[in-house]
Amino acid sequence: MWWSRFGTPLSTFEGVSFYRKGRNVWAFSLPEIPDMRCESVGLRFMSVRGRVWKPTTYALQLFGRFATKNAVDLGPDQAEKFIAGEQQSLEADLEDGYVVVSHRGDVLGCGLYTRGELVSQLPKERRIVKEGIENCLSDGDS
Amino acid sequence: MDGLERYRGIVPEFERLIEAIVRPLPVTARINTLKTDRDRLLFRLREAKVPFQPFSWYSLGLKLDVEKPGNLIENLMGHIHVQEEISMVSPIILDPKPGERVLDLCAAPGSKTTQIASMMVNRGLLVANDPANTRVASLRSNCERAGAINVVVTRYDGRRFPSHEFDRVLVDAPCTGQGMARKDLSVLDRWSLKRSLGLQRLQRALLRRATDLAKPGGTVVYSTCTFAPEENEAVVSWVADQVERVRLEKVSIPGLESCPGLVEWDGSLFGDEMEKCIRYYPHQNDTGGFFVAKLIKE
Ligand SMILES: C[S@@+](CC[C@H](N)C(=O)[O-])C[C@H]1O[C@@H](n2cnc3c(N)ncnc32)[C@H](O)[C@@H]1O
Repeated sequence: MWWSRFGTPLSTFEGVSFYRKGRNVWAFSLPEIPDMRCESVGLRFMSVRGRVWKPTTYALQLFGRFATKNAVDLGPDQAEKFIAGEQQSLEADLEDGYVVVSHRGDVLGCGLYTRGELVSQLPKERRIVKEGIENCLSDGDS
Repeated sequence: MDGLERYRGIVPEFERLIEAIVRPLPVTARINTLKTDRDRLLFRLREAKVPFQPFSWYSLGLKLDVEKPGNLIENLMGHIHVQEEISMVSPIILDPKPGERVLDLCAAPGSKTTQIASMMVNRGLLVANDPANTRVASLRSNCERAGAINVVVTRYDGRRFPSHEFDRVLVDAPCTGQGMARKDLSVLDRWSLKRSLGLQRLQRALLRRATDLAKPGGTVVYSTCTFAPEENEAVVSWVADQVERVRLEKVSIPGLESCPGLVEWDGSLFGDEMEKCIRYYPHQNDTGGFFVAKLIKE
C-alpha cells in the first residue's frame, strides 16, 4: 500500500514488522514480542477503515522521507499554516488522498489533499499556532 | 530553603548551592538521532535563528535560549526532546547497545526511554514500564514522537515486574525530587524525613527487583533527582548487602563536575564502596541535582 501510494522502497521497512489490532496497524522492530501484558508495542503506523487507510503523522515523520510521490515540501508560510492545523489551497502534483508534508526536507506530518485543498492532519495536541512559533520558518536565505 | 540545611556538611561550597537553587533551570534538549543527526539539526536551528549552545560534555545535548521549546517545530517533528541536562546522564551510564534487551522500570514520561531507544538505534527490545495510568499516556506519545519502534510499554508495579532476563535495567526511581527545586521551589517545603523513608522502602524493593531481572553480567543503574541520602546511598548499600552476586562499579562522566557517593550519613555507615556512586549538585554544572549508581550482576 505504501509502495503504491508513496513509492516508498521496500528497503525502508527492513527489520520492521507490522501487526493489526482493531482499526490500527502498528510497526515495530523487536526480536520477539515479550510474554507479558503490553499496553502497546511499537508505533501506531496507520488506521484502516474498510478500504481507506490513513498513515499516522509519526509514521510519516519516520518513514515519509523515503516517499517518491504524493509528497510535498511547503514554503515557510504554508508550513506555518500546516502546523497550526489549518486548511489551505495548494497547487501541487499530488493525487487526492493522504500525502507526506514536509518543510525544508524534514517531514512535518500527514496532510489530506482533495481538489487543490490541503488539510492538516496533525494531532490537535501537537499543533502550534502562530504566536507560539519560536522557530520562524525562514527560508534560510531570506 | 530549610529542607537543604541538612546538607550543609556534605555539599562543597554549600552557599553556592543556595544561590543556584533559586535560579531557574536553563532550557535544554537532546537531539534525537532516530529522526535526524546532529549536523542537520544544528543547521536547521541556525537557519531558523534559534539561539543554542551545545553541551561541552555530551554531543547530543543543547542549551536553547527560547522560552517555549515545546513550540519549536523541531520538537513537533521529534528531532529534539526537551529534557533536563543532568537527567541525560543515567542512560549514558546504562550504556545500552543495539540488539540488547533493556528494561526501563520507572519510565514515564519517557525522557530516558527515548534516549535509550536512540542509543539502541531502534534495534533490540526496550520495555518501558510505569504503573501510573495518566503518565503512561505521555510515555506513549513521547515514544511515538521520538520514532521509537523497539519499545513495548507495560504497566506493572515495578516491585512485581514478571520474571524475564534483561541485559540492562534502569531504575529511575520515584523520589522526593529535591534536585528539581530549580523548576519548582515548593518541592523543598514538601520534603520531610518521613516522606524520604516511605519512598526508601519502595526504592529498595524496586532496585532489588531490578537486580533479579538482570541476567548474569548484566547492568543495573539506579538514579534519583534528590539529595536525600535516605533515598540514595541507603537504598543502594542495602541492596548491595541483601543481594549476593552484585557489585558496584565506579560511575563517572568526563566533563561534569561531581561528588562521590556518601560513605556515612547521620550515624549510618554505608561503606567505602558507596564512593563509586556519583552526586551532582546544581551549582557544579548549572543543572538540577542528581544521584546515580551502577551495579553489575555477577
Ligand atoms: C522520576 S520518575 C521517572 C522519569 C522517567 N524515567 C523519565 O526520564 O522521563 C519516576 C516514575 O516512577 C513511577 N513509579 C511510581 N511507583 C512505581 C512502582 N511501584 N513501580 C514502577 N514505577 C513506579 C512513577 O509513576 C514515575 O513516573
